[in-house]
Amino acid sequence: MIPTRRTARRSAVHRPAALAAAGLVGVLVLSACSPGEAEPDATTAPEWELTAQTAAPSGDIDSFTWVSYSEPYSLDYAYAFDYADNQVLANVCESLLRLNPDYTLSPGLAESFEHPSPETWVYTIREGVTFHDGTPLTAADVVTSMSRHLDPEVGSSWYSAYQNVAAIEQTGDRQVTVTMTRPDSQFNLAMGGSAGVVESAATLAQKGADYGNSTGLVNCTGPFELTAWKSGESVTLTRYDDYWDEALRARAGEVEVLFMTDPNARVNALKSGEVDGGWMLPPDAIAQLQGSGKGDVYFGLNTAVGSLIVSDLEGPLGDERVREALLLAMDRQGILDAAAQGYGEVTNALTTESVWVGASEAALDDAFDGLEEYPYDLEAAKKLIDDAGVAGEEIVIATAPLGNDFAVISQGAAAAAQAIGLKATIQTVSPSAYTALFSDPAARDGVDLFYTSWYLSSPDPLEMYGVLRTGEFSNYGGWSDPDFDALVDEAVAIDDPAQRSGITAQAQRIANEQLPWLPLFEGPTTVFLSDRVTGVAPSVAFLYYPWAATIGSR
Amino acid sequence: MTAVRRIAGKLGGLLLTLFLASVLVFFSRFLVPGDPVAFLLRGRKPSAEAVAQITAQYGLDLPPWQQYLTWVGGLLHGDLGRSLQYRQDVTVVLGERLPVTLGLVVMAGTMIAIVGLTAGALAALSRGRVADRSILIGLTVLGAVPSFVGSIVLIAVFAVQLGWFPSFGSGDGFWDTLYHLVLPSIALAIVFVVLVGKVTRSSMIDQLDREHVEVAISRGIRRGTVVRRHVFRNAVGPILTVSGMLVAGLLVSSSIVEAAFGLAGIGSLLVQSVDRLDFPVVQAIVLLVVTAFVLVNAVIDVLEPWIDPRSAAGAGAR
Repeated sequence: MIPTRRTARRSAVHRPAALAAAGLVGVLVLSACSPGEAEPDATTAPEWELTAQTAAPSGDIDSFTWVSYSEPYSLDYAYAFDYADNQVLANVCESLLRLNPDYTLSPGLAESFEHPSPETWVYTIREGVTFHDGTPLTAADVVTSMSRHLDPEVGSSWYSAYQNVAAIEQTGDRQVTVTMTRPDSQFNLAMGGSAGVVESAATLAQKGADYGNSTGLVNCTGPFELTAWKSGESVTLTRYDDYWDEALRARAGEVEVLFMTDPNARVNALKSGEVDGGWMLPPDAIAQLQGSGKGDVYFGLNTAVGSLIVSDLEGPLGDERVREALLLAMDRQGILDAAAQGYGEVTNALTTESVWVGASEAALDDAFDGLEEYPYDLEAAKKLIDDAGVAGEEIVIATAPLGNDFAVISQGAAAAAQAIGLKATIQTVSPSAYTALFSDPAARDGVDLFYTSWYLSSPDPLEMYGVLRTGEFSNYGGWSDPDFDALVDEAVAIDDPAQRSGITAQAQRIANEQLPWLPLFEGPTTVFLSDRVTGVAPSVAFLYYPWAATIGSR
Repeated sequence: MTAVRRIAGKLGGLLLTLFLASVLVFFSRFLVPGDPVAFLLRGRKPSAEAVAQITAQYGLDLPPWQQYLTWVGGLLHGDLGRSLQYRQDVTVVLGERLPVTLGLVVMAGTMIAIVGLTAGALAALSRGRVADRSILIGLTVLGAVPSFVGSIVLIAVFAVQLGWFPSFGSGDGFWDTLYHLVLPSIALAIVFVVLVGKVTRSSMIDQLDREHVEVAISRGIRRGTVVRRHVFRNAVGPILTVSGMLVAGLLVSSSIVEAAFGLAGIGSLLVQSVDRLDFPVVQAIVLLVVTAFVLVNAVIDVLEPWIDPRSAAGAGAR
């Protein structure tokens, strides 16, 4: 189905109360194999736990099949911006840095990087790496690949990561230097994602406009080579035998990723054993899959928070008290149970602890403990509405037929608004019109609220709060708070993650108090593995980490 | 002589139809709300120059009539434009998907012809008896099953439960493709079998009541021969006319079946492209379906006199 990364559904993370980001991996339960249990009964919350890594494979496997909810739009890294694109590309193309399943960054195609001045990043390119056509990786390939993000003719989806870049130059045999117009800690963090992918310059020139589509394909350095793309149906990844990193050498000779937009078809394929696995299971199918006897469901790290974006501050929701009242009037646990079958946890922040990598203990406490709670309290909500004097005013909630969760959340929000004396209208639009809400101000005209499951691509909460600054493209309601802007700008310029996290925590508190978006809940990344295969790390890092390489036979 | 003129006349009408269809198909896109460029951005932050560049790349900055001329000019050269969602030539996108839909339509069409004609003929020949009534009831029940329900049931029973057929995909190679298309073809054929069956039945009953049939039988010609030579041959006209309509129906209905079975045909592509504001693809598919419909009906018009000489000789024979 659908979605842009913004509207993409069912993401979000379960955060056990004791979990602190600093000790993230340690706290995650290392479950080798959680057996398929009986269907949870409807009245109790489902039992589930986070798994950092599934059991190691007993050996290599000739091939396995995987299912994706949608075909990639493009496998050109400049446009790979969504679950469907990135979950394939992550196995084929590599970035300067590598985003690991625990959301830490480690060296990738750059064996090291330096930061000699606040405005410069210097990357040393790894030796002995070859592209899938056998040609060696050079610093020139890196310069060409990165420079595409700055080329308006390309129109890169990752432009925002490069917005402060002044120059990208080769400064040595194996050295590339990026100069920024101002200090920007976020640039380097983005190099673990698609923004940091390196492609052969020769291939880019040769394929031209067809680069990254189903006929042009790609030529990268990852553990798998993209060998076939059957339009509308599947892509085939084949192990690249000359892959440079022994540790991530592919355990499977071939992986076929099938595109099945229909959720029932997807679940059927997994239940019947025709397909070996898939990410992001429909929540209402998890119990069925667990009971299918064909494999296991695992839950892992996520970075997404499901929230309601307040997109009109001219209307009744422009008053902070009304936003607070609406959140108080929403039975978020009930909505979570209905929308995601209880797989998740109500949250008051717009980030998950998983992205606070490198944060100080103090900053984490500051960011998550003692946040405004907004427990379900109709009386308090009604009183706030009275104080604000907006009773009887109307709000419009946009939704689209994108899945059960979208329906539940829009109805839940509407019911809450009605309960406190506002008039609520649900406006159902087509999935593409819904997508347009995220990029076209005209599409948001007359819309007060819409739902998103917003995930972060870099291990830093600033990626989230950066977009809420005054005038930012994705600050959909035009919310503005000078103190907040100053804090975020200050944090962006700080290189030390611990020090930066302290400032970010203050920004998170402001967002928590003023509610430019209404945080609802976070839930885990889900993955299904058939009883033929094992070895994957269940984590939302599957968007950037070569997850398929580690899968072998059970 | 007249045959040539008839065909020439048909050809002229055909071209006119296609021209009008192209105008309709192209300009209807401007009635659809939504900006294709906003969709291309998919929620990400662009630079201002990038937006301008993308708009220019897809010719979206030109006035509509100029966009139409560019499009038609391209069509005449076999260039259908470039898909926004796939960043690829529409001809390539369609070329990859057309075989699946054609396979599906041909297979479903064969099923419809065999099952529909047989059921209709059997019912007509046993008119009023138990066989007739059971066939009619059977057809009516089937006719009430929408394609998507049929798909779900077929997958649940034959793919998931029994595991006899794959539940998705179009397979590789001829036999594997055939195997993969069995269930989808059945799902697609169901509704149309009913139509063909009922038309065949009523058309044949109509003929059975004709005087010349009674005369033929009274002369002692064998029943089988009468049915073949007189009844069926004369009944074929209405059946052919319905079949012409079926082609467009099958092409359009295939979208539901393709989606349910995860088949990458033009039906599912059309639905997806409408939703993603991928106008070049939508325009190409709609034009293709219209062309197929018009062509098939033209061919049937031309063929009919040869199969049923009465329609060429004029109404006098009736």
